[in-house]
Amino acid sequence: MKAQRPNPRTVRAAQLGLLAVFWVSVIGIISWIVRLIQLSLELHDIPSASIGISLVAIPVFLLLLGLANYVFLGLLWDDSHEAHPSTDDER
Amino acid sequence: MKSDETLGSDAHLLRSIEETGRGFYVAVGLLLLGVLWGVFAYGTQLTHGLGVTGLNQPVSWGFYVTNFVFFIGISHAGTLISAILRMAQAEWRRPITRMAEVITVMVLFIGAGNIILDLGRPDRALNVLLYGRYQSPLLWDATSISAYLTGSVFYLYLPLIPDIAILRDHSSKYRFLYTVLALGWTGSKRQIRILDRAIAIMAVVVIPVAISVHTVVSFVFSMTLQPGWHSTIFGPYFVVGAIFSGIAALIIFMLIFRRAYGLENYLKYIHFKYLGLLLLTMSFLWFYFTFAEYITAFYGNEPEEMKVFWAKFTGDQAIFFWTMVICNFVIPMTLIGIARLRTITGILVASISVCIGMWLERFIIIVPTLSHPRLPVETGSYLPSMVEWGLMVGCFSLFGLFYLLFTKFFPIISIWEIREGREVGFEEVVERVKSYLPNEEKTPISEGARG
Repeated sequence: MKAQRPNPRTVRAAQLGLLAVFWVSVIGIISWIVRLIQLSLELHDIPSASIGISLVAIPVFLLLLGLANYVFLGLLWDDSHEAHPSTDDER
Repeated sequence: MKSDETLGSDAHLLRSIEETGRGFYVAVGLLLLGVLWGVFAYGTQLTHGLGVTGLNQPVSWGFYVTNFVFFIGISHAGTLISAILRMAQAEWRRPITRMAEVITVMVLFIGAGNIILDLGRPDRALNVLLYGRYQSPLLWDATSISAYLTGSVFYLYLPLIPDIAILRDHSSKYRFLYTVLALGWTGSKRQIRILDRAIAIMAVVVIPVAISVHTVVSFVFSMTLQPGWHSTIFGPYFVVGAIFSGIAALIIFMLIFRRAYGLENYLKYIHFKYLGLLLLTMSFLWFYFTFAEYITAFYGNEPEEMKVFWAKFTGDQAIFFWTMVICNFVIPMTLIGIARLRTITGILVASISVCIGMWLERFIIIVPTLSHPRLPVETGSYLPSMVEWGLMVGCFSLFGLFYLLFTKFFPIISIWEIREGREVGFEEVVERVKSYLPNEEKTPISEGARG
């Protein structure tokens, strides 16, 4: 026996909540890296090391965030209802 | 469950989610016992401090850092192997990528957790957040592991989406969870295009991130001037060892779940044979790096280096060193190299042997160097206490428990990828093979060339 369908609005809120968690995590990590650069500048503590590493690390996190947005928003706001043959029979 | 007709024989892959046998409860019970031992050991350490461990001066790193390096190493099983096989369009990857990706995510949490154990006082982890200095390779580690963990979780999730949609439509359990995580997947062409593109980009992104993680883990050692650590090949040596142990761990998990969930029809001998041959290749590569590492130290004959060298070859650490060589090279070479012995059991024994050997490798990188420091301080020795044994058992049990629980919520073999393989894989492979071969019409062999 199938269970009742969940409320679509609650589902959508939870899905956007997941994306929000991803945003908070990535922004949190980037803020931490920026804070360490700031600290090294304040203390004159070889800021070049912090800046060098952040130049690699921050774009990686931004790329992951961009991809997450692309997938979440792309799938959630799919207005085409054309089904793939492999999953069509299940729906 | 709705009916087995729509999913056909692949409905079997959802059975582990729908039905729970006695074996599952027994396994969970045993693993929980291990976890409880770990919790008790950690409670003891928190109450009495690191004095209850075998750690001392100068050997301030022991089991915890060994486990950290080992777990981060086997995390390469997933993302790296899965990404490489996806990019290479290896068709035999389909039933194994999910298992590999799950290993990565689970062990990264546990590996990073071992650093907290090693700190003694967990509140000191806050110092990294508040006052971290990027001159320290330890902080490079923290950054690269964060990137790898974020990327691996995402890379595990993306190929799960179509399977979660199948669960949403077919399963009567956890309906809200599956509806949320399926992200409205209907399998439309647009959705497939978005997902394919995202998986392809992630497969490219995670490879350098994964390599950077273990390179940076090696930098924690090689950036010091300690004998046995200050080596230019430590980065690739660690990466090779990580992939090596990762493949071995993946084979072990594949065999456990093949037996437990009756997946013989999906995980066939051919999968173990191919992974076994990859393991053998990595075994040769590992041996080459080990040889290069030690021959350089031996030829240099630098006194402090030689103390560590002889401790490993003939001294108090020799038992661990030679067991490592047997486990990582002799056993895999025999059991996988000789075709007659290359059975599933042979490959399993070789994989278990490699996991033990690689753990020992991490141990003998850390302990002998710290026991014979370059600075003129007393040499030391290290004997792990029951607290460290308990935490090690706890970590391994937690890893097993996480993995087992994952299989109760999600299919351990990617259903949609198997179906895609059946529906379009055949044609794609035929077309690809055709494209590899010379075109007969365009390159006729002249009579003269035929001789």
